[in-house]
Amino acid sequence: MALTTTQSGLSRARRGVAPGGPGTAPVKRRSKLSAQTSRTFFWLLLPSVVLLVLIHGYPLIHAAVQATHDGNLLQTGNFVGGENFSTVLTSPAFWKAAQFTLWFTIVGVFGSWLVGLGLALLLRTKIPAGGTFKVLLLLPWVVPIVVSSTAWNWLVATPDSLIPSLFRNLGLGTPLFLADPTLASITVMVFKVWVSFPFMMMMISAALASVDSTVYEAASMDGATRWQQFSQITLPLIARSTYISWILMTIFCVNDFPTIYLLTGGGPVSATTSLVVLAYRTVFQDFATGPGVAIAFLMTMTLVVISVILYRQIRKSSVE
Amino acid sequence: MSAKSSIASPAFSRRGFLGFAAAAASAPLLAACGGGSASQGGGGGASGTVKFWDMPWATPAYNDAAKGIAEGFSGASGSKATYQTIQWNNFYQTFSSAIASKTGPAVSTGGGFQAFQFEQQGQIAYADKAIEKLKASGQFNDFLPGVLDPFKSDKGYVAVPWQLDMRVFWYRKSLFEKANVALPTDWPSLLEAGKALKKVGAFGFTTGAGAGNNYANHSMIMMMVNNGGGVFNKDGELDLLNDRNVEAMEFVLELVSNGIVDPAAVSYTTDNMSAQWKDGKAGFGLFQVNVPERVGDTSGDLLVADPLTGPHGDKATIVFPNNIMMYTNTPSQDASEEFLVYYLGQLKQLWQKKLMSALPVFKSITELPEFAGDPNNVKIVKDWQPIAKTFASQGNSLNANLAALDGGQALNQFSQTIITGKSDAKTALQAFQSGLESVLKK
Repeated sequence: MALTTTQSGLSRARRGVAPGGPGTAPVKRRSKLSAQTSRTFFWLLLPSVVLLVLIHGYPLIHAAVQATHDGNLLQTGNFVGGENFSTVLTSPAFWKAAQFTLWFTIVGVFGSWLVGLGLALLLRTKIPAGGTFKVLLLLPWVVPIVVSSTAWNWLVATPDSLIPSLFRNLGLGTPLFLADPTLASITVMVFKVWVSFPFMMMMISAALASVDSTVYEAASMDGATRWQQFSQITLPLIARSTYISWILMTIFCVNDFPTIYLLTGGGPVSATTSLVVLAYRTVFQDFATGPGVAIAFLMTMTLVVISVILYRQIRKSSVE
Repeated sequence: MSAKSSIASPAFSRRGFLGFAAAAASAPLLAACGGGSASQGGGGGASGTVKFWDMPWATPAYNDAAKGIAEGFSGASGSKATYQTIQWNNFYQTFSSAIASKTGPAVSTGGGFQAFQFEQQGQIAYADKAIEKLKASGQFNDFLPGVLDPFKSDKGYVAVPWQLDMRVFWYRKSLFEKANVALPTDWPSLLEAGKALKKVGAFGFTTGAGAGNNYANHSMIMMMVNNGGGVFNKDGELDLLNDRNVEAMEFVLELVSNGIVDPAAVSYTTDNMSAQWKDGKAGFGLFQVNVPERVGDTSGDLLVADPLTGPHGDKATIVFPNNIMMYTNTPSQDASEEFLVYYLGQLKQLWQKKLMSALPVFKSITELPEFAGDPNNVKIVKDWQPIAKTFASQGNSLNANLAALDGGQALNQFSQTIITGKSDAKTALQAFQSGLESVLKK
């Protein structure tokens, strides 16, 4: 009975009912306030919603029109239904680009996450000039991609560039990092990881900062090993941030145009052509607007599906 | 409480705030809708101001000089001109968006086949009247032979050429001396020279197909044309699988298999390629006009070679006649034409100041001491210009489809396949033909 009274009290407290206050009347008052508040929110939000619909809706509708017509950037052309989509989906170039995009995204997301996690954990320990290191480690993310891709190009492009020369001097031959299809793919992915790990490091550092150190002290007292502390405490506690960073990095990787285009242009022989590069080249180099926009549509749909799956994981991790 | 927001003040009602928010929200929309108004200079601007868009054809000094020329224009009816540089990145999108929103130029330079693309979309004003004015002033007779012909369509002149982006063979004299081999005059001697250059650590067929680099594309088409072949036949139909093209590509593959083409060339940007020329790794290869200035070696060691004779006696190279076009969206077609004629008449300044990396289209400019003082320029005009063909070869008229060929995925893929030796000539040409068929408008 006492328990029931306590639960009832907590319930009333959560509803904002003062002890000894009326039972149902305040609830009515609350719902009246809610309706007013909702209307206020509605009118306050309306301008932003209208803007967002116009900003995102108009290009989306325009793109849908282009994807279902055979026109160009200036003229809509004739309605062709799903022909552009079927052209794209039956093209070997599309599937080759999709395959590269998949690998590029997997390596980009998890590679940068692993490096970022490692460095975030390292920077949590007391190392000399930790602040300076943090700033230096942010440089790949901060430096404009045009500058870093040019720098990487000069490091690896010709047989006499620094890295191939280094390999040669070590007796490892002269690898052609951008001319060999496999090496070019690896180089582009490594470049992506290098550019992206500071973002992951920042996200994880922020998540780690919110973890109470007493949790680890308690775990140590219970005899947990460092690995157990990492796998059973650290990873679950930063799971929410991790999923958010994965969603963001997946979007960054799938939509990443400059990293690839500036370093390899999608070559050699399409080895590093991702879907976004293919879409760009189809629209602006082959001047085939419909198929190019169809590729972009398919990419968007895929990203939405991936984002929904990862968002569900976030909600699941929040509940847990 | 001194920092109390005015929004929280009782004088600022909720309704007032909503009204303010709606006004703020609609402001960018109204601004966007007003983008094409005359006040923004749409279609060349009000009161006869001709909007001229130009590309970065050379160093920034070029654009400064071109701006000076454009802004010096003063038409008979008081019309003026404004100048704007448009970057090559996404230039077609830039032009398309501007034209669609009626904020595009009245006159512009641009991509080699851009005029034909916009003509197809009804946006180009034909230059026949401007040509008549050039005839009346006598400047028409100053054009080098044949440079105007590719721009004549059934409906009129689509654009007027102003410079020729020529592809010619260059060589480094000291490397040939070091290799103790004669300059090539035909394909067999090119192969022999390439083998000799390889022994001294240089490449005899320098090219590049990396990001944004079209020189490998141009080298492939040039070799086809040099063998009497080409992408199109005389009727303008796609004809990639002809015997001459197969023979030409088999020869390039032979160069590749002999190590005469740099194995890393497939990834070379134009900067990488220029560095190869500067560093003495490039012995011979196709490049543009003014290579010594471009690569930064004006010692006199980099020289223009003789055109090669193909196995069947053909001699040819390719040229991109860059042009100036007029658009239908102009404040005054008369002013556009007047500006075009004026600008063509002032072009010599650009060569006098040695700002150009291309050949002029006017004989009088080729005779300027600033141009003719360079023996490489003289050789190009004398030996290469007369044998130059456009991308449309063996056909002669340019068209919008060539835009999808030059820089398109099909040609790029083909060039990369050949210079990496990944395929035999027929298979690569077949794939090229299929790729082009899928993007060329019927």
